[in-house]
Amino acid sequence: MRCSFCGRRAVYNRRYAGTLLCDRCMVKSVERRFRRAMGEHRLVSPGERVALAVSGGKDSVSCMHLLADYCSRKNCELVAVTVDEGIKGYREKSLPIARENAEMLGVEHFVVGFEQAFGATLDKIVKLAKRKKTEFNPCTYCGVMRRSLLNQAARELGADKLATAHNLDDEVQAIMLNYVRADFSRLYRLGPSYQPREGFVPRIKPLREIPEKEVALYALLKGIKVHLGVCPYAGGIHTEIRDFLNKLETNHPNSKFMILRMFDRMKPHLIEAVPEFEMRKCEMCGEPTSTSICKSCELLQGLELKRGQKTLISAKSLVNMAAS
Amino acid sequence: MTKLVGITVKVRVIGQGAARSIKVPQKTKIADLLDQLGQNRETVVVRLNGKVVAEEERLADGDSVEILLVVTGG
Repeated sequence: MRCSFCGRRAVYNRRYAGTLLCDRCMVKSVERRFRRAMGEHRLVSPGERVALAVSGGKDSVSCMHLLADYCSRKNCELVAVTVDEGIKGYREKSLPIARENAEMLGVEHFVVGFEQAFGATLDKIVKLAKRKKTEFNPCTYCGVMRRSLLNQAARELGADKLATAHNLDDEVQAIMLNYVRADFSRLYRLGPSYQPREGFVPRIKPLREIPEKEVALYALLKGIKVHLGVCPYAGGIHTEIRDFLNKLETNHPNSKFMILRMFDRMKPHLIEAVPEFEMRKCEMCGEPTSTSICKSCELLQGLELKRGQKTLISAKSLVNMAAS
Repeated sequence: MTKLVGITVKVRVIGQGAARSIKVPQKTKIADLLDQLGQNRETVVVRLNGKVVAEEERLADGDSVEILLVVTGG
């Protein structure tokens, strides 16, 4: 099996493009796609400050390596933010990996915790939700609260953009999930960048057109240290959609890209159909919302929890605190 | 009548216990082995004798196959 471009031994069969790639061409290809996304969609401008959400997993750590290099060339600044949801046996393994990579790249790294911000870890929230028999699953609590916390952190850090490492698979899964749930308001917000309303830091997704397996190969071939653990709460419809899409891609290569392309073509028409609404400040926490109370506060209220004093903690000081 | 000759390869799914020996027909591709093990090729990276390879590589007797589960989200 030889590389279609240079004749070296192939490490990957890019079936959707009908090409074989060796380790060097594979790495170069991912870097080229990343740069193309950055340029084509003008995701970051020179002089801007970018806050990247870094969990320690392959996607976010690879994205940090790619963005650190990009920012050093384009005169922009990169900071990393990790949300510690408080998932026992999971986050404590990935957090040191995020910190190690940030240190190696010279990227300032901050941590925001559910416990400090919402008065409870996700583990506790899940237990409370079970006890109170709420209709929501762990991913709903985690997703809503993590997004809110990342936006607050990015704003506090004075970031012009909030980058997340969503890859092609994540994006296509989100498209399908919003179809299945008929969630129009979330569907039209998907895209390479999203310019939200006042109070929100604009979000960007530089890995949106890179398949998950290719991001993993990139990290592996570059020798980047990443955490490959699985969240103990992963499951349900998200996993079913992921498995369905992977089966579809195996039997019909290029399906994921086709779903994405079709969505991107439809998106301008979707935006036209978005009803006008007024942005307000949440009556409880002051965060931006379209209703009187933001979704995070609504979820917390249902569990009789109150927001805590959220603090951005430098990852370095966290290590010092643990050592003392 | 020709007798089908099988080969034995050592397979380890990282994070799922020790390696085990599996007998497969000669010239089996890694993609076929993954199918046999119920692993989707979109979700794994395979190392053959320590090197990352494409799933179209054919196996030889005594090969060591490591399967890394890389799609962890969901």
